[in-house]
Amino acid sequence: MNKRRILLVITTAITVMLLAVLIGTVGVTAADIVNIILHKLFRLPLRPDLQPNTVSIIWTLRLPRVLLAFLVGAALGASGTVIQSLLKNTLASPYTLGVSSGASFSAGLIIALGFSIPLLGNLTLPIVGFLSGLATVFAVIAFTKRVDKELSNNTIILVGMVFSLFVNAAYTILTALFRESLEGIIMWQMGSFAMRGWSYVRAAVIFIVIGLLGVIKYTQEMDLLSFGEDEAKANGVETDKVKKQLLVFSSVLTGSAVALSGAIGFVDLIAPHVARRLFGSQHIYVLPISAVLGGTLMIFSDIVARTIIAPSELPVGAVTALIGAPFFAYIYFKKSR
Amino acid sequence: MIPILSVSHVYCGYHGRDIIKNVSFTVEAGTNLCIIGPNGCGKSTLLKALAHLIPYRGSIRIGETEISQIQRKTLAKQVALLTQISSVYFPYTVYETVALGRYCHIDSVLPRLTAVDKEIIEDSLEKVGLQDLRDTKINQLSGGQLQRVFLAKTFAQDPKIILLDEPTNHLDLKYQIELLEYVSQWIKHKERAAVTVLHDLNLVQACADRVILLHQGESHSSGRPQEILLTDALEEVYKIDVKKWMTNVLQKWGA
Repeated sequence: MNKRRILLVITTAITVMLLAVLIGTVGVTAADIVNIILHKLFRLPLRPDLQPNTVSIIWTLRLPRVLLAFLVGAALGASGTVIQSLLKNTLASPYTLGVSSGASFSAGLIIALGFSIPLLGNLTLPIVGFLSGLATVFAVIAFTKRVDKELSNNTIILVGMVFSLFVNAAYTILTALFRESLEGIIMWQMGSFAMRGWSYVRAAVIFIVIGLLGVIKYTQEMDLLSFGEDEAKANGVETDKVKKQLLVFSSVLTGSAVALSGAIGFVDLIAPHVARRLFGSQHIYVLPISAVLGGTLMIFSDIVARTIIAPSELPVGAVTALIGAPFFAYIYFKKSR
Repeated sequence: MIPILSVSHVYCGYHGRDIIKNVSFTVEAGTNLCIIGPNGCGKSTLLKALAHLIPYRGSIRIGETEISQIQRKTLAKQVALLTQISSVYFPYTVYETVALGRYCHIDSVLPRLTAVDKEIIEDSLEKVGLQDLRDTKINQLSGGQLQRVFLAKTFAQDPKIILLDEPTNHLDLKYQIELLEYVSQWIKHKERAAVTVLHDLNLVQACADRVILLHQGESHSSGRPQEILLTDALEEVYKIDVKKWMTNVLQKWGA
């Protein structure tokens, strides 16, 4: 039964991916896309009737955009799953730990100051965003450890919230001080995959592969940890080490996702939830499936974002929130009933 | 012969405060040691130290090895702990939950179960009578069924020593008796032993080979059940005449 569902999830992902490349003002066919990809990757000849303009739109705009959306969604889906099992709460998300507010603040600062680190060029924003997201999580954990040696989940959630609120206040001050960059800062925070290009895709692949490899080896430990820390320890899990690694690698996933595309919420909440509905609770299924579903959902949201008021675009973060908030309310109130 | 578990001058607690003070005892293979004492005397804390969930001072040895020197996964092959379950966060199935007990025996990164693993899981499910509920989600079970699921998980871990923290909680009388019978059978097999925290002194009478009575974190007395349960020790610690109360109740049963 699981095999059929896995096949369904993968087919949906590929279909949505293909749709995303097909949909747009310049019409192409699936055969055109395959032709262009083969041409770019293996130097196969292009069909003569393909306009250079079309090739350029598909190769430099649509394909990297779709791939980036998938990678970012996959990162958020996977890290959402990890954080939920660590905090034993299906309503928790990496954003609870302050990753996105930390990344948003420093990204805002960079946009406002028009600052760029030599050699990094247009990757300054994602890399600094990523590092500050990570720094926020470390600060949250270090502070939690000071007040609560056991690193209990309630304390982590509370400290994460306090830090997020504080950093968000700093962020608000930033937008008030740099009114001329307001549009750039706000657009960034709401998230977009437009005009990112292949350099972003390459960066995403590196960070996300590292992050996924870091968490995927701990699926059994996540199963045990989701029964509570004492339970996991008594079953042989080195909880301190495993928890720390899971937090670090899930911050790598969330931090790079936020840094590359902005603070796009709810995918990290919805993807694990749907994965659990379809495949039960075992993380060996839930983790990879959440990644694939997160990627698919993100591409879908991006299609909506760029078509619904075409030729203008909505920020993709607004679309995921429009879908996600009612969904969140639905699972929350259904649970408490 | 070396006892299977030797506890000597152990102190432990939380946040730098000792709850257990200078407790020593040994457990022989094939026996069930029951820990009794009033609420808050440190029974659960002592069990946590025995599973090395909390740090301790003094010495806790399995055979000749100090447990703080053993890696967690190796220790889990020797000692299993059945805690007092508070809540279930994720709806695993009964089978998946029991299978998690095999974690310490699996060397691969993937949760791949061997034929031996599967046989032990089946056997554990059968012992607690849960074969028919194997595919049920654990959030749909009653408290008693859930307790049996976790007991089966403990058996699946296939340790030498099981530590049971009030295992009869949530169980009706039939399952209380059955559970303690499973445990008695289980320890008769190979080199095994159990340490059980119990509140119900009748059950202690029925299943304990040795008893240790804790009072305010210290060992008040220890010995065979009749040595502890039938002396003034209980009255000193619980501040009521337990025996008189029990006998009065029994008279009402017409005994």
